[in-house]
Amino acid sequence: MFRFYGFGYNVWLSLNDAGAFGPPKFAGLDNYARLFADDQLGVALANTFKFALFIVPGVVIVALLCAVLMQQKVRGSSAFRAIVFLPAVALPTAAILLFGWIFQTQYGILNATIRGLGGSPVSWFGSATGVTVVVTVIVVFLSFSVPTIILYAGIQDIPSDVYEAASIDGAGPIRRFFSITLPLLSPSLFFVILTTTISTLKLFDVVYILLPPELPASAKFGLTAVYYYYQLAFLNTGDRGYASAVSMVLFVLILAVSVIMFRLQRRFVHYGEDG
Amino acid sequence: MLVHNRPRWWVYVLIIVVGAVILAPFAWMISTALMTTGQTLKVPPNPIPAPATLDGVGEVFTRIPFFTLLWNTVLASAGRVAGTLVVATLAAYALAIIKVRGSRVILVVILTLIMVPGDIFIIPNYAIISSLKLTDTIVALILPSIFDVFAVFLMYQFFRGIPRELVEAARMDGSSHLRILMTIVVPIARSGIITVALLTVLSEWKELLWPIVVNRSVDKLTLGPGLALLRGAYTTDWNVLMSAGVLAALPMVVIFLILQKRFIASVARSGLK
Repeated sequence: MFRFYGFGYNVWLSLNDAGAFGPPKFAGLDNYARLFADDQLGVALANTFKFALFIVPGVVIVALLCAVLMQQKVRGSSAFRAIVFLPAVALPTAAILLFGWIFQTQYGILNATIRGLGGSPVSWFGSATGVTVVVTVIVVFLSFSVPTIILYAGIQDIPSDVYEAASIDGAGPIRRFFSITLPLLSPSLFFVILTTTISTLKLFDVVYILLPPELPASAKFGLTAVYYYYQLAFLNTGDRGYASAVSMVLFVLILAVSVIMFRLQRRFVHYGEDG
Repeated sequence: MLVHNRPRWWVYVLIIVVGAVILAPFAWMISTALMTTGQTLKVPPNPIPAPATLDGVGEVFTRIPFFTLLWNTVLASAGRVAGTLVVATLAAYALAIIKVRGSRVILVVILTLIMVPGDIFIIPNYAIISSLKLTDTIVALILPSIFDVFAVFLMYQFFRGIPRELVEAARMDGSSHLRILMTIVVPIARSGIITVALLTVLSEWKELLWPIVVNRSVDKLTLGPGLALLRGAYTTDWNVLMSAGVLAALPMVVIFLILQKRFIASVARSGLK
């Protein structure tokens, strides 16, 4: 038993660590020196953080809204719960292609609607703003479900007598939400923000599917850190040593973000009196 | 006294609006899937296909080996769930029940690794798989991911709730660890195990980067990456693309609708720290 565990643990650890330290041919810190002179890397990192800046609040707000709505005792609430969860089980590739079609410049239904309302169609994939909007919408749509369920579960754990006391003191629903729900929900909120941030920093599927490497826009507007890493390592001749260095940058960044968030958590997250 | 807040009318309105916004893209997907290519290129588009046709659906099967992809997806999911469960139960048993020496250190390592994105280890993983001559196989798709730290951690949490007395009593009776695991721990932690299994299936369906890197031939891919390939070659036939999307998304949606409660409970648990 011990040995089996040790073996599994080792294989898995080796899967992770092996080769993470650069090229077979020893190049010293050359790869790392290249990082600083790489414009594309700068673009990729800037895009990644820009997307995260929009996506994380988007996911949190949509998830909070849906979680509060799921809380309401209305008829059809189980149907609503199923609908909320639907994007999480729909195959992401299929959903991403679907949005590619909705945002399509010439024939997409969104531009058709804009035209119908008298506006001029937008070239969604031709500008930085357009790509940011598209990516944000898709990622929020694809990833709000799980956070919603987690927040919903968190809201259910809040004891109802706290609400009763507040109601008796004359707090309205909005007041109750901001002074009770949000603070008492902060552990779940923290978890949701952390996981969403990390997964956004790893964003790949949306940009890969909608902005294939051949398109010029992919190199400017849709390049994320992982996408860049993929292109370096597996397109053309492949530059795996350098790609590994890029991945180490990403690794350090994500770790740094996590550490910062855990620090902030101590300040803002409320774990209850005995927690 | 319980406060019964009667939902107000605007709550209903909000629920309906939010529900409709979520469903609308899917509706558009299905309706595009039932159009001919010509109908998809109408300006302005007609939201309801008239007449509805299954041409697009038929075309899917000639362009991609749909059933092969589906079968691969099922195989990969099943294999990955089985592998993950074996690794995670054994590891969690060692950590939570036997409490092997150094389990605290191992736990800290696991918690740190949960934060580390697996995607950045693609190059080393690829090197290992290709040195094992496993590229272009289904095994390659799942081998790196069955050593799933998050699953180990979740399982550890579930196993920790098992009363020590039960395990110790069985030890006294001379049961082996494997026997205790199978006859005591696994039955008690059943719902936790289902949780890990469902979450694993969900994450296998989301895989994209790893499959396209490790398997170059189409008939060794799963549905997600297989569909992505369809994009590259035939950008304009949106009816075919949408048909493929509907067909590919359908199995999981059906499974979800059947097991809805389990799915939601599983996800809710994954958030508990």
